[in-house]
Amino acid sequence: MTFLKQLAARHRILKYVLEMKLIEALEIIRRKQRVEAQAFRVGLVCGFTPLHIQTFLNAHLQLVLPERRVEVSPGLYGDFWGNLGSLERADYDAFAVVMEWSDLDPRLGFRSLGSWAPSALADILGNARARAAQFEETIQRVSRKIPLTICFPTLPLPPISFCPSWQASRFDIELRACVSAMSLAAAQLANVRIVNPQRLDQLSPLASRLDVKAELVSGFPYKLSHASTVAELMSLMIQRPSPKKGLITDLDDTLWNGILGELGVEGVSWDLEHHSQMHGVYQRLIHSLSEAGVLVGVASKNDPKLVGEALARSDLLLPQDALFPVEAHWGAKSGSVTHILKVWNIGANSVVFIDDSPMELAEVKATHPDVECILYPKDDPQAVDELLRGLRDLFGKATLSEEDAIRRESIRQATIYETNEGRDNDTARDFLKHADAEITINFSKNPLDPRALELVNKTNQFNLNGIRHTETSWQEYFNQPETFLLIASYRDKYGPLGKIAVLAGQKVDRVLHVNVWVMSCRAFSRRIEHRCLQELFERYNVEAIEFNYESTLKNAPLGEFLAEMLDESPTQQCRLSRDSFFKRWTETFHRVMEISNG
Amino acid sequence: MDDARNRLLKCFSTAFPSLPDSALIQASTTNIEGWDSLASVTLFALIEEEFGTELDVQALGQLTSFPKILDYLRETKNQRI
Repeated sequence: MTFLKQLAARHRILKYVLEMKLIEALEIIRRKQRVEAQAFRVGLVCGFTPLHIQTFLNAHLQLVLPERRVEVSPGLYGDFWGNLGSLERADYDAFAVVMEWSDLDPRLGFRSLGSWAPSALADILGNARARAAQFEETIQRVSRKIPLTICFPTLPLPPISFCPSWQASRFDIELRACVSAMSLAAAQLANVRIVNPQRLDQLSPLASRLDVKAELVSGFPYKLSHASTVAELMSLMIQRPSPKKGLITDLDDTLWNGILGELGVEGVSWDLEHHSQMHGVYQRLIHSLSEAGVLVGVASKNDPKLVGEALARSDLLLPQDALFPVEAHWGAKSGSVTHILKVWNIGANSVVFIDDSPMELAEVKATHPDVECILYPKDDPQAVDELLRGLRDLFGKATLSEEDAIRRESIRQATIYETNEGRDNDTARDFLKHADAEITINFSKNPLDPRALELVNKTNQFNLNGIRHTETSWQEYFNQPETFLLIASYRDKYGPLGKIAVLAGQKVDRVLHVNVWVMSCRAFSRRIEHRCLQELFERYNVEAIEFNYESTLKNAPLGEFLAEMLDESPTQQCRLSRDSFFKRWTETFHRVMEISNG
Repeated sequence: MDDARNRLLKCFSTAFPSLPDSALIQASTTNIEGWDSLASVTLFALIEEEFGTELDVQALGQLTSFPKILDYLRETKNQRI
């Protein structure tokens, strides 16, 4: 089994690639149908008989959505364009669109006997272009309402061109350009995700995709293995696995080649000249991950002074401040990992540790079983390439946000505030007073800021009830006119934190019902939670705020805050009166900028 | 019960999960309400997957019951030998 597949299997990502059989898929679906669970409904649009792609999509989605009962509904058989056009009127959690060449023109499939004569090629291209324009126009409309996952044609083109197969014909190239243009247009839409053809090529070789017999007999053109692979990739985009948040790397024979203590600062290398290029490639990937918001720390058994000098080398391929914290000492690496986790304030299961020593990996794993420990294969460039691809899958995100760019810096800030936590009240107050803090409160819900949903779905500690939303349920919630949304952003003299808190709910008479309240742990100790409540009382002029509180395994910080406000342990639907809140009010020292509903 | 029969029964049981084994071994397109053309496609795909074989397109129309399919599978296996 390759490294990628081992990794995938451990993370239930692509667990069944090329392995899930139809019988297993049907069994997964059958088991779930017996269970009472909230439905997750997916509309499947394809021009061929949906058959096994429907089955595999259902089964793969069921694996990534174990709490839901997945229902995949195809439209009318053979009516790709009709089904696509009806998407807007349908009520689903997500759409999966599987396009094939014959959807652009039936002559591009085996079930039509339309002409392949050279004189027909221009007409086929013309049809394909017209269909492409129709497709772009439709998905632009539909994707405003519901997330769309698209797989563009994956089958080999039939031998329609007059050229021999080893020569790319102009017809083939123009047809593929037409699909590329469609794909590019779709990729620019916020709610659209597209299956990566390169990944599909790796997992499902072109020659093993088309099942001519099945297409003729039943109208289903895919071999089972290809149907399963397409379905699995689509399921991962419909329900994305949570990306890892932090990477802890070793230095010697990992971030660079050689032992720093033996070779000295100038002796370690990461270039072609010293046959250590893949360490440079590894650095380049780490830099990219860091800029994409992944936290990167160092755990190294080394002389800290030497490490500081080596990391300051001007030819290092990542800026020194991309690494934080740097734990360099002679103690156990598990201790370094413990400290880094504390600084980052994230769970061990969100972190990957990379080291070239199996013994160090085992030592860390023994103390932190939830940390993903991966060997750096220092003597095998091919395996390093595979490692880098695996890291992309573990840390990959569909889009980058402003917050991704400032996450590392805000963690540094948090350590400054944590130091403040232990101080006496007057000193702490003084610290906040001089932080030059500014909060921007945004009540706009049109268009919905995707960062709000991201925060709701990944915040555990300061989370009112742990309820997660799909993009569709989130959109539907705010389609109700009485629903409000508050997004708070924060910055102070230490730098910006970005958008870090979300509150949502509804006003009924003189009471504000808060159903959603999350705040990033990076924003603790700044009285932002106090300020958010103050803003709600003042803006909506209510007598009380009622919280749809639910205790979870991880939301103790929010529970403690409510207990402090209420003078008792919070219960479901607990209420905080205006009088009680302002009686406890203490100055927050924030400048507040407000953005009203737009 | 022989191996081929057991494996075929597994395929039938997956394609028609609500039926007991006793009904499945007697199953035919005439006595199983849900055995329509789509169920046939699923059943044949399961059989091909389970037995690692490709069913002959010309024979598909004749494969209308459990006993007939079992006979077909035994026959083609013998031919391969």
